[in-house]
Amino acid sequence: MNAITKLEFKKKIQDKGLWFWTFILPIVFIVGFISIFGGNTGADSEQLVVQIVPGYTVMFSFYIMISIVIAFIKDRDSGMTARIASTPLPTLQYFMGKWIPFILIVLIQIAVLFGFGVAVYDMPLGNAFALIMISVALAFVSTGCGMAMAVIAKTENMGIALTQVIALGGAMLGGLWMPVEFMPDIMQNIAQFLPHYWALQGYQTVILDGGNVLDVWASLLVLIAYGAVCIGIALSAYPRYLKLSKS
Amino acid sequence: MIDIRDVSKSYGSIKALQHADLHIEKGSCFGLVGPNGAGKSTLMKILVGILEEFGGTVEIGGKPVHQYRRDIKRQIGYVPQDICLEETLTARDNLLLFGQLYGLSGKGLNEQISEVLTLIGLEKREKSIVSTFSGGMKRRLNIGCALLHAPEIIILDEPTVGVDPQSRRAIFELIHELKAEGKTIVYSSHYMEEVEQLCDSIGFIDQGMVVEHGTMKEVFEKHRHSSIFIEGDQVTEEVLAPYGELMERENGYVITSIDPLATLQKVALALHSQALQPTRLELSQTKLEGIFFELTGTQLRDKG
Ligand SMILES: Nc1ncnc2c1ncn2[C@@H]1O[C@H](COP(=O)(O)OP(=O)(O)OP(=O)(O)O)[C@@H](O)[C@H]1O
Ligand SMILES: [Mg+2]
Repeated sequence: MNAITKLEFKKKIQDKGLWFWTFILPIVFIVGFISIFGGNTGADSEQLVVQIVPGYTVMFSFYIMISIVIAFIKDRDSGMTARIASTPLPTLQYFMGKWIPFILIVLIQIAVLFGFGVAVYDMPLGNAFALIMISVALAFVSTGCGMAMAVIAKTENMGIALTQVIALGGAMLGGLWMPVEFMPDIMQNIAQFLPHYWALQGYQTVILDGGNVLDVWASLLVLIAYGAVCIGIALSAYPRYLKLSKS
Repeated sequence: MIDIRDVSKSYGSIKALQHADLHIEKGSCFGLVGPNGAGKSTLMKILVGILEEFGGTVEIGGKPVHQYRRDIKRQIGYVPQDICLEETLTARDNLLLFGQLYGLSGKGLNEQISEVLTLIGLEKREKSIVSTFSGGMKRRLNIGCALLHAPEIIILDEPTVGVDPQSRRAIFELIHELKAEGKTIVYSSHYMEEVEQLCDSIGFIDQGMVVEHGTMKEVFEKHRHSSIFIEGDQVTEEVLAPYGELMERENGYVITSIDPLATLQKVALALHSQALQPTRLELSQTKLEGIFFELTGTQLRDKG
């Protein structure tokens, strides 16, 4: 593994904020909402679990953006990016080295939250390969979006604010909080444009309808397309980030 | 070893470097001296490849930097002016990172790390988190990170700023050791005494321009002249004016003279006959600080 990846991992393990946003807060939300809705409405409990566990997993996977933004802005402002530029490490390896650990963290996050759903709420899973593919595509989008924001954002606060908009806005409009069928038509149309919606649809197709990877091709395609656009933006803004960090 | 020809660099309207020419010999210890904002760091960032866009040419080991960037980076160890470490990790982890960035790994890297830890005097603190270190310890680690890959050229940007005397001594010893190993060293500072002690050649830089450079001996021979220094409340410019060219320095005056002893005698007699009491009256030799002042009319540091 590349030196930057290892370094980033070491730092992330010590980062309490990351643990909080990635694992603790989502579990609190999952437990909280399942007990609220499960208690009052008497809704079909499997339906509820399959809405809430993947829903909040998708939403909180976008919070990785905060960590990515902070990592890049810290390196830029501390002079670490410039110092690394004086070593023979190619700039693209620095980019990849910082990106990969976040992809892995999101994958671990998804595994932990789904594992929690299975262990505590007997959440069914379905086709493992299809789930993995959706998870990889989701991690690609959320981290890709984070990478784009990280190289563009001027300050940490700006990055955090935008993350909230993307994570919460996407969650609300993309049907992560409430199934889209319960939303007005216009909102349902908007949802179709959001990766959050497609990620949740993908998970539900696999878990509820026993779908395999072919049944979720549309979800995969949308997620990968979104991720590719984000990474495209990130790569094209990256030289500017490097330039700013060197002066 | 390092050839800098007609190098210019601007940040917008600020001209950080203007037509700088310098030559640094292999195995020499070169002192780059200038006041705040002179362009020292800018020049160093160009040498190490952080700044890639600039006017003019830089050759290192006979190779133009633009074409051989990767190769050249491997030969250089860079110690940035601002301490740049991963504060939440241990000293060893920091060294590990920089070793790996230069492609070292495994046993070789571990040996290098142990060696460097001894060299910077932090072998007992390798497992401590950097944020618990004193400023001087961080400075030393900052230097250590640049030495793991055994570079031929070591570029240190004001490595002793804000360190305690003990760490400063340790850093000096370290640089002496590197010199003894035959490394080429480029050292920037605005402490003349440091440069006078450590370096064998020197470049003065002011407002982005190299105003003088050469071996220490050459520069001294060219600019050193004897002078006398007089200080005292009652001693005014009018009293001294007849005895030679006057310059105000600190709280007194400097008179340059070809025959300083004779001038000293005349000044002493004049003061005595007018019953004026100097607090200091002495022969002095121009120091680097004085030469710089003469060349640029600027003090290196604001007098505190
Ligand atoms: N990123 C930047 N953007 C704009 N101006 C800059 C930038 N970096 C340096 N400068 C300007 O370039 C000039 C030279 O700066 P430089 O840092 O090279 O000086 P220096 O000799 O290292 O000073 P110091 O002793 O304070 O470290 C200064 O006028 C500085 O303000
Ligand atoms: Mg500087």
